[in-house]
Amino acid sequence: MKIEILFPEFCNLFGDSGNVRYLRKCLPQAEFVETPLDGVPLFAEDAPALICMSPMSERIQEKVIEKLRPYRSRLRALIDGGTAFLFTGNAVEVLGEYIENEDGSRLEGLGLLPLSAKRDMMHRHNSLFLGSFEGTPVMGYKSQFTTTYPGEGVRGLFQVERGVGLNKKCPFEGVRDHNFFGTYLLGPVLLLNPDFTRALLDILGAQNVPLAFEEDLRGAYAQRLKDFREKM
Amino acid sequence: MRKNLRFYLALLCAKGTAAGLRLLGRKATNMPGSCAIRLCPDFLGRMPRPTRVIGVTGTNGKTSTSNMVEDMLASCGYDFICNGNGSNVDTGVAAALINHSTLLGKPKKDLAVFELDERSAPRILPYLRPDILLITNIFRDSYKRNAHVEFILDILNRYIPDSTRLILNADDLLCAGIRPENPRVYFGIDRQPDDGDTCRNIVQDVRVCPQCGGKLTWDFVRYHHIGRAHCPACGFASPSPKYRVIFTDPARRTMRVELAGVERELPLPNSSTINVYNSLAAVALLSEFGLPAEKLAAAMDKLAVSETRFNEEKVNGRSLVMHLAKGQNPIACSRAFENARDYPGKKSVLLFLDDFYDATHSVESTPWLYDTDFEFLNDENIASITVAGARHWDVFLRLLMAGVPREKIAHSGDTGRAVELTPTDGVDTVFILYDVFNIRFANGVRDQIRERLKALPPKEETAHED
Ligand SMILES: [Zn+2]
Repeated sequence: MKIEILFPEFCNLFGDSGNVRYLRKCLPQAEFVETPLDGVPLFAEDAPALICMSPMSERIQEKVIEKLRPYRSRLRALIDGGTAFLFTGNAVEVLGEYIENEDGSRLEGLGLLPLSAKRDMMHRHNSLFLGSFEGTPVMGYKSQFTTTYPGEGVRGLFQVERGVGLNKKCPFEGVRDHNFFGTYLLGPVLLLNPDFTRALLDILGAQNVPLAFEEDLRGAYAQRLKDFREKM
Repeated sequence: MRKNLRFYLALLCAKGTAAGLRLLGRKATNMPGSCAIRLCPDFLGRMPRPTRVIGVTGTNGKTSTSNMVEDMLASCGYDFICNGNGSNVDTGVAAALINHSTLLGKPKKDLAVFELDERSAPRILPYLRPDILLITNIFRDSYKRNAHVEFILDILNRYIPDSTRLILNADDLLCAGIRPENPRVYFGIDRQPDDGDTCRNIVQDVRVCPQCGGKLTWDFVRYHHIGRAHCPACGFASPSPKYRVIFTDPARRTMRVELAGVERELPLPNSSTINVYNSLAAVALLSEFGLPAEKLAAAMDKLAVSETRFNEEKVNGRSLVMHLAKGQNPIACSRAFENARDYPGKKSVLLFLDDFYDATHSVESTPWLYDTDFEFLNDENIASITVAGARHWDVFLRLLMAGVPREKIAHSGDTGRAVELTPTDGVDTVFILYDVFNIRFANGVRDQIRERLKALPPKEETAHED
């Protein structure tokens, strides 16, 4: 199994490189391919089982969009074909239609998902999130400059129970398209949510692979869930 | 900006608040400043500034460095305004100016030294217009507040006035590249025996040449992005420091320094690399301010060796160390963990990383744990690790992810159990790593551990390298 990590030298903010470090513990047999920003993505020719991208700065985001633009149709085909993706934080917006700056200027996204994001660099949004994924509780932390507005037909990833979804009025957090998982939840999300991580491993065909440190992950999850329910 | 009626009203109100606080026997910290800025949002722009203003900012080390600068200036007989007892945001600066001004706002002293929060730069720098600004370094800090380094750099580049003379860290390419058109000097530490050729940390925020975006070649890496590099493609290189440490001699507590081309020996209050940077930065700043080298050396000699971030005591032949590890700040914590690892002998380590305030009112954020090098604590000389606090499960999981054997870790949400969970037999040192918000609690734990160490049979001190 091949897992591609896009541009980890830049897309590594807010502790989210922990997601891939955890996958390495769960899937020691898998081949992890790190593609640098000046390299050729593995997915251009090959079909990795999973493609990961973590949050990045605003200027890197512009470079990443330009880097991926030539691969738009390839990415669409991979999504439609069921390749798994885990895009976290502002990596989600890269696939959207555009990102709007405070002055109204727009940065054109890849246009693969019907959503747009609005930046507000002087008002960072920080919040706790409690929701659900296929019926099980999901938690995470949000810390971001953008608010995201989904268009018609966007399928949410997590249902909001408490906290804020893609925007204050949106009943869901994150985006799902086939096996594309996009979420703003930090944590890292895979270490915070064992059931969600289990579902991702199952999609990768690793149904028989146990979660690394599963008991400890669940112990931490139970304690955190209690805290989230009490304090949110 | 001119003084208007609103300004005078704000000043009057702030002065009244300060007088009221004094009458109540309370220290006048931020409150007069908050009051003034609430009434007159551009108060700092209208308040007359002292003739000379020195600022100290940067992610880590700004408090230690400004304390050092203030102590040295005071021992040289300078009288100045500072915010050492207040906060480093706009209200703290305003409060300090108000407290040392006449009824009409005229400053009573000609010189001011301010520690400045980098995130607050937009509300301070354009008004205060420091003559000299020292920037210690630029690193990732609280994600909620400071987001990422590009965000902080953009703020500094935008709000530092053209006329401000900069004193920058030559070994930090993020810091060294700030406001390239401003007058500037650099400080740096030559390659030292512990420096490596590659980065040994999770976080490294300088990945490409700042000039051409090409691949950098590192001459050496100290930690994270601190080190020296050059670009084979365009010829860019880390700048040459005017103030440089050539080597340190911890046994004699001295450092060999080149100051503007002249080599000399200076006292070294504390030999950990971070403190060498802080001392060097203070020396560079005061040299640029105009203190002659002889006076500098004499002032450094008088600096207390006591260091709030790192306190060690001997109990019955064993060491008890208190070390600050700022929660939510991955770099400060990684440095602390590395210090714990490098401290000689077998160790028991206690971790109190929760921000008590955050833990009480909210669920403290965990992402920073995964940017922090807990891997340093996975070391054969660390015999046990005790984790106590609200997020103990998350820290425990992080330690497992770092490869620490689970039998070495004890964790509990009940901080009262921290002492009983920590083995003190068979170790040379108990190392307490605590967040600044729970210093009182950590001190209590230290006292209990001290009693336990006292009750143990005395231990022969083993000789070790410092
Ligand atoms: Zn270059």
